[in-house]
Amino acid sequence: MAGGLEPHLEALRRELHGPAVLSVLVALIAVAITFLIWRFVQGRRSSRKAVLLLGLCDAGKTLLFARLLSGQYRDTQTSITDSSAVYQVSQDKSTNVTLIDLPGHESLRLQFLERFKAAARAIVFVVDSVAFQREVKDVAEFLYQVLVDSTVLRNAPALLIACNKQDVTMAKSAKLIQQQLEKELNTLRVTRSAAPTSLDGSATGGPAQLGKKGKDFDFSQLPMKVEFVECSARGSKGEEGEADLEALEKWLVKVA
Amino acid sequence: MLDFFTIFSKGGLVLWCFQGVRGPAATAPVNALIRSVLLQERGGNNSFTHEALTLKYKLDNQFELVFVVGFQKILTLTYVDKLIDDVHKEFRDKYRNEFQQKGALGLLNGTFDFKDDFMRLLRDAEESSKVRAPTVMKTFEQSLKSQKTVKCMIETRGEKPKEKVKNKKNKGSKKDGTEAVAVPSKASAADKQLSAAGDKEELTKDEILQKNREEFFRRHMKAGEKSRSPKPDAQKEKGKKPRVWDLGNSNAKVLDYSNSATNGSAEACPVEEFDPDMALGDKNREPGRLYDLEYESDDEAEEEKVVQNPSKPSVKKGGLGGMFGMLKGLVGSKSLTRDDMDPVLEKMKDHLIAKNVAAEIAVQLCESVAKKLEGKVMGTFTTVTSTVKQALQEALVQILQPQRRVDVLRDVMDAQRNRRPYVVTFCGVNGVGKSTNLAKISFWLIENGFSVLIAACDTFRAGAVEQLRTHTRRLNALHPPESHGGRTMVQLYEKGYGKDAAGIAMEAISYARNQGFDVVLVDTAGRMQDNAPLMTALAKLIAVNAPDLVLFVGEALVGNEAVDQLVKFNKALADHSMAQTPRLIDGIVLTKFDTIDDKVGAAISMTYITSKPIVFVGTGQTYCDLRSLNAKAVVAALMKA
Repeated sequence: MAGGLEPHLEALRRELHGPAVLSVLVALIAVAITFLIWRFVQGRRSSRKAVLLLGLCDAGKTLLFARLLSGQYRDTQTSITDSSAVYQVSQDKSTNVTLIDLPGHESLRLQFLERFKAAARAIVFVVDSVAFQREVKDVAEFLYQVLVDSTVLRNAPALLIACNKQDVTMAKSAKLIQQQLEKELNTLRVTRSAAPTSLDGSATGGPAQLGKKGKDFDFSQLPMKVEFVECSARGSKGEEGEADLEALEKWLVKVA
Repeated sequence: MLDFFTIFSKGGLVLWCFQGVRGPAATAPVNALIRSVLLQERGGNNSFTHEALTLKYKLDNQFELVFVVGFQKILTLTYVDKLIDDVHKEFRDKYRNEFQQKGALGLLNGTFDFKDDFMRLLRDAEESSKVRAPTVMKTFEQSLKSQKTVKCMIETRGEKPKEKVKNKKNKGSKKDGTEAVAVPSKASAADKQLSAAGDKEELTKDEILQKNREEFFRRHMKAGEKSRSPKPDAQKEKGKKPRVWDLGNSNAKVLDYSNSATNGSAEACPVEEFDPDMALGDKNREPGRLYDLEYESDDEAEEEKVVQNPSKPSVKKGGLGGMFGMLKGLVGSKSLTRDDMDPVLEKMKDHLIAKNVAAEIAVQLCESVAKKLEGKVMGTFTTVTSTVKQALQEALVQILQPQRRVDVLRDVMDAQRNRRPYVVTFCGVNGVGKSTNLAKISFWLIENGFSVLIAACDTFRAGAVEQLRTHTRRLNALHPPESHGGRTMVQLYEKGYGKDAAGIAMEAISYARNQGFDVVLVDTAGRMQDNAPLMTALAKLIAVNAPDLVLFVGEALVGNEAVDQLVKFNKALADHSMAQTPRLIDGIVLTKFDTIDDKVGAAISMTYITSKPIVFVGTGQTYCDLRSLNAKAVVAALMKA
């Protein structure tokens, strides 16, 4: 049988020697390069063109979403799923970002965060400035969960904490909210890492330590840039008027 | 009649709203609807009551819309369901372009001017419900009864009652008498007319009775004995005769069965036909051997073979068509119908029940998932099974996510700042592990630097106080006062057996406040949920002492009982509390989690029923076996095949 094969092998070897080899090699290299380029472009394109709107229930995320996209006031209900749309950041720059409005309800927020966190280029954390005093622990807990997430720590998207509902007189200022959140997150670092470990062994607080050990927690200790702005999705002139979103829009231009 | 009708997208934008005349803003009730029904997977039936309103809703899963109508609870409007369906169809058809093409932007920028169509549909629906008005009663003149005379309604033998009707009809129509004229007067008038006409003689009362009796007999006698004259009746009355039975004769000797000769002697017994085969049964048995139970597997195998054979040719026939059908199902977009989902949901329901989820909860969950998926368009290369499984998994994770913050340490710190102890009460049925898990939780708290007072309010079970004393001694050995700045971290407050538990708890809390303890853990006696006096006592303890956290301890081995236990515990706490908002169970401790490998359904049952989070999970009997719940891991174990 070997004898039968040999002449065939000889023929093959003869075929390979010659210009055919070169063309085959070139073809293979071209395919490889195309593949690499495609992967690279795919990675660039899909990574992180999204701006996530996070926050507790009733913080005003959906209204903010509507105002940014259409400029009009809309009635809203508690969101059950996410909504996403492409947002033109400014007139001259042709860059777009995808605004994604995630539901804030406790049973849904982590699920949707999981889905969209990898694509996040920036995160807008909307805070209800009027109810902040009452909800400070819940706000801090959600913010903590966002900050210790491994994907978020790795990608370090820019974080903006938008203190919404500034049109109401009782609203807290951004500075006060920042101080309170820092204090609360300081405490949460300790309690969450001391919580009983999870069933399958992974710790709930995450091995990530927020900020620097030994020092009080400060937003400047985080790997990502954090800013605080005040805004009002409803607008001080009521429903017909414009929303007060200048600071937010400027930040979006910067980030895009 | 309607208070409001809203159409909004699942993303939260209100597309169109109709406000009834006196209705308040629609947002609050609709938010309540969303939070309690849709987000807790209770979407099985489509109506929901909130304060004074009943809300009915419908989901459009294809375009992600929700239709909600609200009306007063006391009204029962029958046209609401039909109205919702009509509005759904019309709205969807009218604005199909906006939905399909532009997504969220379309919803934002589109104007949904639906008012005229809605008013038209509402009017149609209201009218259709009015069609079946109650029927008007016939007047007396119109009924047949007025055509008959009173006399002709008395049945007499041999008379033809109907012949009178024709005469009466003419006479009745001539009269212009209204119905106000009473029947007796009419009857008397008829009587007078009859007597005048001389159609019938007046019969005496006795003769009427006789005639009726004869009628009765005639009707109930068998054929052949039609007319019996009353005379044979009279004959029987003459004398009393002894009753003669057909089968017996009046021979007393024959009736005497007490023949002493036959008792006890074998010969006198008549020789029967003794069939040994019938008595012994199996001819082939070995004498004296005890056989095993025969399994019926052979019969079953035969049955299966028999069943399979006819099914095989049908499978072959449907093979080609089935293959193409499968391909058709994979590629392209088709929307899910109830029929597609039903077999898959049945299987999922059985799977959940096999994993120890309570049966009624599994049913409700599957219903809710079906409602969420109906009409949804599947993407390419997704089967019905995978879509349903995905949806079910999301629903389960949603249920297990806590609805409120679960951070005991944070709350203890808060209470510490206010210089008052943080009180935790453990309740549950007998033998679930309250005392063991109490010890574990106190160990965890001590590790974090809080001092604990254990209140032994189990004054019934023998050895309960000693058990807690042993735990206290062990914990103090593990964390001696020297390593915590001279402070005893754990102390036991007990008053022996037989005393009132609520009183001991109150004393323990004030003792803790005076001595500066951070946490008070109150251990109560186990009690069955049906035991009314004990449930009252527990409710009293909780209502009087107002603990910060009421934990229900339940074991993971429990099956359908979990539903009953939690419902009855909550009900007892609600009934016996004086306050406006009664203290209910705040959290669940799931114990003995190491005894189940992946039959973790009890977690789902408990959180679904109470919608309260699982705060701790107990996985053993040592002090370190305390865990927190990981929703994803539990759901993964649940969905594993």
